[in-house]
Amino acid sequence: MKRLAILVLLLVLSSFSLAIAQVSKPEELKFPPLKFEPPNPASFRVVLANGLRAYIREERALPMVNITAIINTGKLYVPKEKAGLGDLMSECLIKGGTRTRTGQQIEERIDFLGGTLNFSVGERTSTLSMSVLSKDLDEGLDIFFDVLMNPEFREDSLKLARGRMIEQMRSANDNPSQVLNREFQKVLYGEHPLTIQATRATVESLTPADLKSFHGKYFFPKNIILAAAGDFSREQLKNKINKYATKWANKSLSFPAVGKKFPEPEPGVYFIQKKINQGYVSVGHLGIEDTNPDYFAVQVMNFILGGGSFTSRITSKVRSDEGLAYNTGSRFTYRWGFPGTFSGYVQTKSETVGYAISLILKEFDRIRKEPVSEAEMETAINYYLESFADFFQSPINTMVNFANLELQGKPMNYYATYLDKVKAVNKDKVLEVARKYIQPDKMVIMIVGDFEPCNKGSDKFPGPVDKLGKVHRLKLLDPLTGQLVE
Amino acid sequence: MNLRKVALLGLGCFLLLALGSMAIAQVKLEVKEHVLANGMKILMIPKPGVPRVVCHIYYKVGSINERPGITGIAHLHEHMMFKGTRMMGVTDFEADAAIDRQIDELMEKIYREKYWKQNGDQQKIADWQKQVEELVKAQKKYIIKDHLWETYMKNGGTGLNASTSDEVTGYYVTLPSNKVELQMLLESDRMMNAYFREFYSEKDVVMEERRLSENNPGFLFNEQVRAAFYVGSPYHWQVIGWMDDLRRITKKDMIEFNRKYYIPNNAVAVYVGDFKPEEIIQMAEKYFGRIPRGEDVEPIRTSVPPQYSEKRMYGQGPGMPNLQMWFHIPPDGHPDVTALNVLSGILSGETGRLTRVLVQEKDVAVRAMAMARPQWYVGAFTFNVVPKMQKGIKPEDLEKYVWEEIEKIKKDGVTAEELQKAKNRTEASFIRGLESPMFLAMRIGRAELNRGWRALLIDLEDLKKVTADDIKKVAARYFVKENCLVAVYTRGQGR
Repeated sequence: MKRLAILVLLLVLSSFSLAIAQVSKPEELKFPPLKFEPPNPASFRVVLANGLRAYIREERALPMVNITAIINTGKLYVPKEKAGLGDLMSECLIKGGTRTRTGQQIEERIDFLGGTLNFSVGERTSTLSMSVLSKDLDEGLDIFFDVLMNPEFREDSLKLARGRMIEQMRSANDNPSQVLNREFQKVLYGEHPLTIQATRATVESLTPADLKSFHGKYFFPKNIILAAAGDFSREQLKNKINKYATKWANKSLSFPAVGKKFPEPEPGVYFIQKKINQGYVSVGHLGIEDTNPDYFAVQVMNFILGGGSFTSRITSKVRSDEGLAYNTGSRFTYRWGFPGTFSGYVQTKSETVGYAISLILKEFDRIRKEPVSEAEMETAINYYLESFADFFQSPINTMVNFANLELQGKPMNYYATYLDKVKAVNKDKVLEVARKYIQPDKMVIMIVGDFEPCNKGSDKFPGPVDKLGKVHRLKLLDPLTGQLVE
Repeated sequence: MNLRKVALLGLGCFLLLALGSMAIAQVKLEVKEHVLANGMKILMIPKPGVPRVVCHIYYKVGSINERPGITGIAHLHEHMMFKGTRMMGVTDFEADAAIDRQIDELMEKIYREKYWKQNGDQQKIADWQKQVEELVKAQKKYIIKDHLWETYMKNGGTGLNASTSDEVTGYYVTLPSNKVELQMLLESDRMMNAYFREFYSEKDVVMEERRLSENNPGFLFNEQVRAAFYVGSPYHWQVIGWMDDLRRITKKDMIEFNRKYYIPNNAVAVYVGDFKPEEIIQMAEKYFGRIPRGEDVEPIRTSVPPQYSEKRMYGQGPGMPNLQMWFHIPPDGHPDVTALNVLSGILSGETGRLTRVLVQEKDVAVRAMAMARPQWYVGAFTFNVVPKMQKGIKPEDLEKYVWEEIEKIKKDGVTAEELQKAKNRTEASFIRGLESPMFLAMRIGRAELNRGWRALLIDLEDLKKVTADDIKKVAARYFVKENCLVAVYTRGQGR
């Protein structure tokens, strides 16, 4: 029996007699000034053997090490007939084992050490992340680089992953928000590598050789950036990683060309029938890339419109005033190298679907017509300025963010210039970007819900929904076959 | 986080807990504690570096403090805490309050007509409703919309949120380290002076929130499973509450609930980040210290009576088929709970027994997991398995495989390797949890309200003592048919 040693020191609070002035409003509070310099990426960056780049930060408060490899590849480069390869690889890189270890051995060992090891293939970047206690760093690195460099993709891991993917596919049309997200993207981006869906047939046709060839093509030192933070000596960690990197050959790589042409969908209502008691709604069109010089102005504009939660116009009107929804607002999404989407969103009971949409459209219109108020500007700008340090709360996330900037070829002074770019946004600019990037004549209004009650509407906005635009009734595909179900 | 270095500041109450010899690492969790005269506790974990402070307040109240008729009120109340006070959310308090009282009077008449009578007068209801709408319009000019939220945001507040669970309600914001006083002012103000403006439209918002859940496949069935399992205790209903209760909850219910639970001696404030504890203590004394102590809250009384025989449920809906098996276990703090927690670790995860046998060896399932949920008053140990439909396996076919695994444990126990792995995982994940200030604040705050935050460390010590024999014993004690509810969900008609 080991007892916890508890040491209690009670001391009198005497040295703190300076009084805090009584206030009756938050505006009367006076705050001391705060100085904060964001960390500089250059002071963490190293180039290791064979051109393997890394952002490394010592952080010795806890006996833990976090390390992430960001690989410059993703589902975008998977050919159509091999759709599902990305998800299959996410499941099998670790579980499929390496030349010298089975997947089960790897998972058992990581679990025994109390560590975590995860891999996922994203749209254009893939990540392998590990967290281990610092005493297990050497063994952890051995496994980490083995998985990264020598995966075997054994058949039993593919069998397991295919089985899971097919059961998951069977459920692909169950959840209304999942259906809405997928179908909204399909209408805006059309037939494109960004929207290709796996089917049972494509998943069943995938072989260990397919995964090996994808891995062989993209996984090499110059196509990867590492991020690490934790309880280690920076110099020692560099040496340890170099042991692996020196034995890891580079390759020449040309990425498959991917078109950037997207259809111009006919504006109007796109209705997907589902017997539920709410309509799930997205209203919008394609947006911008985050490298756009107007990015900061767009962020501030959207904060005021519907991105700043309760301080934004759409949330205030649709949720707080009218009680129509729990979840409503607007968003710009971003993706590397392609325009993201702009959309207003709401989920509301069937009879108020039309009314809620009309309120959102009204706010789109208002922000394009009148300048925003001084107070709204102040709240939005101050939010971005005052919350800036939050980006750097987690040491490993900071390193990962730096690695991603470099991998995507974005300016490395992004954080150093961030505050100035926010401060440069003004009311005129907000009006300008609202007019430029919100396009009322292009609105795709997608609704997943029960058509009859949605179409009937309510007192404040009686139907039919074609008042909002021409109605297209969309049919869902059978996710297993990718064919229409009748 | 400065957990290794021990710097003794000659200030406040200083508490230091050394974690004996942990098998895997030496970690000290250093929490500074201060108790105000009104009983409110302030917990502080200084973490120098990035100039931000995670500021959380937890109240010892949740859906288990409700009763039939007002289910969902703890969560609705959490929403209403954003609707202003005397100081916040209003330009002219008296003028607004006069209108608000009129609205309440009319709404009471409407509720009586609607809910107290068999055949209420629809015309009367419509007339009153119209008057309410006029008053709501008139009230708008006095209301400052979402004032508290906006004030936090323009001061750089992030992680701004609140949440309600069965046992605890929390209010969260992370601020620049020079602005913690703002949180003290706003949170002490709403602890004392919550004023429930826009009550009726916010009820609509919460009903929409419930509808969102209802449209999540499986939600309605799982709600029934839970209700059947916790037949007696207030864990019977979910945090969101029953729709009918949400409709009928009154402003009076809300005020009564507020007075009973939103008192300093039923709350704890947690600060994690870049600050000097003596400054936090000084501000807390000033802001929270001004609130009078309330009447102590009695723990909930009703537990779950024994089942005496197995329960079975069947349901259909638009979701992924699965088999659930629920067993009653004792609450958090009971000596058997540590072994049950270790057992759930041994059964779960990608290298756990259930996945290894049901998913990999027998190939009858695609997912299989177990979870021990001790909770504060009554606990559950649950199994959840998703069948491999491609092979024609149905959820009910899986039941015998789960029982086989249970019987194996009762008979042969677990291996030393399995036991050590489960212990290592728990300990390491505890340390990992210390990395995130927000997660740390949450764990500390919640634990404090039940058995005190030190229970987290005591449980870790107890974990190390669990033997294979303990696991066999608890499996034999709790995994028996008359303590079990089996729930089978298949894809089909229905919601």
